Amino acid sequence: MPLEPRHIIEFLGDATNDKFNSELLGYLIKRVNKLCFDECQIDRIQCTLTPLCTRRFLLKLRIKNGLNLDDLPKFCYSVHKNIVLRDFRGKTIVYRPFDAYLYLVDFLDIFFHGDYRKLNKFISFKNWDDALKIFDDRIYNRDENFHYYLKNNYFIIRYDDRLHIIFIEENYVLCNARGESIVNLDILSGICELYANLYFPDVKVKLIRSEFVQITITLPSDIINNISNDPEAQENFSKSDHYFWNVFYEDLETMTQFCQTIHLEIDYIGNLLIKLDINLVTNNYDEKQKPLPLRYRDLRFLLNFVQRLYTDFYVYWLPT
Amino acid sequence: MYIGCLLNLKNNSNNKVIKMNEVEDDTRLMEKIKEMITEGKIDAVVDKIAIYLNLSTEENYIERLENIFETVSLAQGGRTVIRFLIEHLVIDVPSLLENLSKKDSLLRYSFLLLLREIAENEQDLLIPHSNDLLNSEDPNVREAFLQLIVFIAGGDKGIEDESILEIITSRLSDEKDFVVEKAIQALKTIGNKSPSIVTRVLKEFSKKCSENDELIKNIDIVLKSIVTVEKIEEIVEIVEKEESKIEKPVEELVEKEKELESKEIELKVKEKELDDKEAELEKKEILSDFDLKKIEKEKQLTEKEIELTEKEIELKEKEKEIKLEIEGKKDIKKLPKKLVKEEVKILDKEIELKKKDLEIKKKKLEIEEKEKELEEIKVIEKERS
Repeated sequence: MPLEPRHIIEFLGDATNDKFNSELLGYLIKRVNKLCFDECQIDRIQCTLTPLCTRRFLLKLRIKNGLNLDDLPKFCYSVHKNIVLRDFRGKTIVYRPFDAYLYLVDFLDIFFHGDYRKLNKFISFKNWDDALKIFDDRIYNRDENFHYYLKNNYFIIRYDDRLHIIFIEENYVLCNARGESIVNLDILSGICELYANLYFPDVKVKLIRSEFVQITITLPSDIINNISNDPEAQENFSKSDHYFWNVFYEDLETMTQFCQTIHLEIDYIGNLLIKLDINLVTNNYDEKQKPLPLRYRDLRFLLNFVQRLYTDFYVYWLPT
Repeated sequence: MYIGCLLNLKNNSNNKVIKMNEVEDDTRLMEKIKEMITEGKIDAVVDKIAIYLNLSTEENYIERLENIFETVSLAQGGRTVIRFLIEHLVIDVPSLLENLSKKDSLLRYSFLLLLREIAENEQDLLIPHSNDLLNSEDPNVREAFLQLIVFIAGGDKGIEDESILEIITSRLSDEKDFVVEKAIQALKTIGNKSPSIVTRVLKEFSKKCSENDELIKNIDIVLKSIVTVEKIEEIVEIVEKEESKIEKPVEELVEKEKELESKEIELKVKEKELDDKEAELEKKEILSDFDLKKIEKEKQLTEKEIELTEKEIELKEKEKEIKLEIEGKKDIKKLPKKLVKEEVKILDKEIELKKKDLEIKKKKLEIEEKEKELEEIKVIEKERS
């Protein structure tokens, strides 16, 4: 039987192998460097069109671990940046650059080209007044379709339909966040608050005891009281009857995958409060029964549910 | 000030509107081109693209080019369109590669892939540009053309032109690593098909630039990949032939020198002939037909005399030779060798003397001829006067 990846993982996990682990990892690092610098990017056509690592994940490995541009395969990185740029401009690309890591200055160069030097300086020195002035100018005077939210070490930008997370201290940006896991409660609450501001301002978002984020959706008593009591009378169902008798429980079931808990409460006026408690892990488990982390796309799914409830059963029922 | 601001705003908004319209027009046109390609109207597409590019300005030419490639590369039959564009000279490959060099690598390499089929099957469209493009100042252009060479070498015909191989080999010491890499790749691909030619070119080049370590190292890499057990025989045969060629050159040189000498002699003879002819022509101009006939007859007579005397000399020589042979045979034992040699020398001198007499006679005749000519000229002049 040949050597398999799991053998290496098990070997590295065994504390008695500490002496050999560094040697083994040294071989791996040597191989990775050879692959990037000697085999892949030396042939630039290959590196551009068919890179030897899938979607340049080895770049992510380097950037996320704080390596400088000098320690990166530069041509590969330049192609990577180019792909994000082309995707942003709607040009043809080899693959969609989801979960692409870029250095802050390069991200700003792509999305805020004219002001990228200034912005890089302001953000690096946390001069938020001047940085936000530039962003606001672009939004209000130049019709650029983006929104931002600053939460401690994270600056969240929603540009068109894509989400980008600036890691200020780390000096890098996660572009087109989708399949990556959300690593911090600040990011989680920041995204929820940004979406709440944009799409469901009356929905409450709270970070509770630095443990989880609670989203509370209020469905007015009017709508709850108007729901038909007879689930069999499908023919006379209104839109809300149909939803609450046929779809709502399915939605809640799906949401339980991503929420730690879901509370349904009736307040003193008779409104229905749906409380979704979310943290960084889901209720889905891997083969080893380890909970899977919450990803950006999971959160997006969850926020879409909130938005639908809000627009269909809250805004619609508010007295004008 | 306020009005100025307003005007600026208006200009800006006008520019924006124009740009928006341009973009809309472009997208509409590209959609139309896509449709036409799928319908198989290749000629019409080529015409449309030609007009579109002709109407471009310096600023938006590359943008338009990019639009076309994006549209064409995604459509089925796009390669045919590209081939037609090159054949109809709507797109000029060298300037195209230079323009693409300014754009990002993704576009450049995607376009190169589009050219693959053309490179493999219709290399004649590309090969003529090889010298210019392989020596281009722009490393991206050099790299792009080397990639095209890789495609060409992978095609049916391959590359066997030694001058191109030499230029590619010179790129093995290019200042840019990625160009060197492409040159290595190109030589390897060519070498797979024609190892003997590549080996020879590399060998000669390495001799010329033996001090360039980088180049030698890269030549080594190429050679290592070319030489296999299967191909070694072919390469060795050619090397042996070359070695035998190297042994010959001294002899060849001597032969060539001889040839040159004989050619020089021939040239001199021809020069003399020309001079004679000129002289004859001059005479013809001066003398009448009657006089010419006389002179010719006299000449013929004198030539015959000379021939007769030459024959006499030859006969005498033969007689002497026969005598010598007979005497030699009879008196070999009697006479010492030295005496025989001296006799031969004396005979030779006699022959030489006779030859000289003949020459003197010839010259005398010539002088007489000239004197006669002069006299005739005088007579003619007198008659005229």
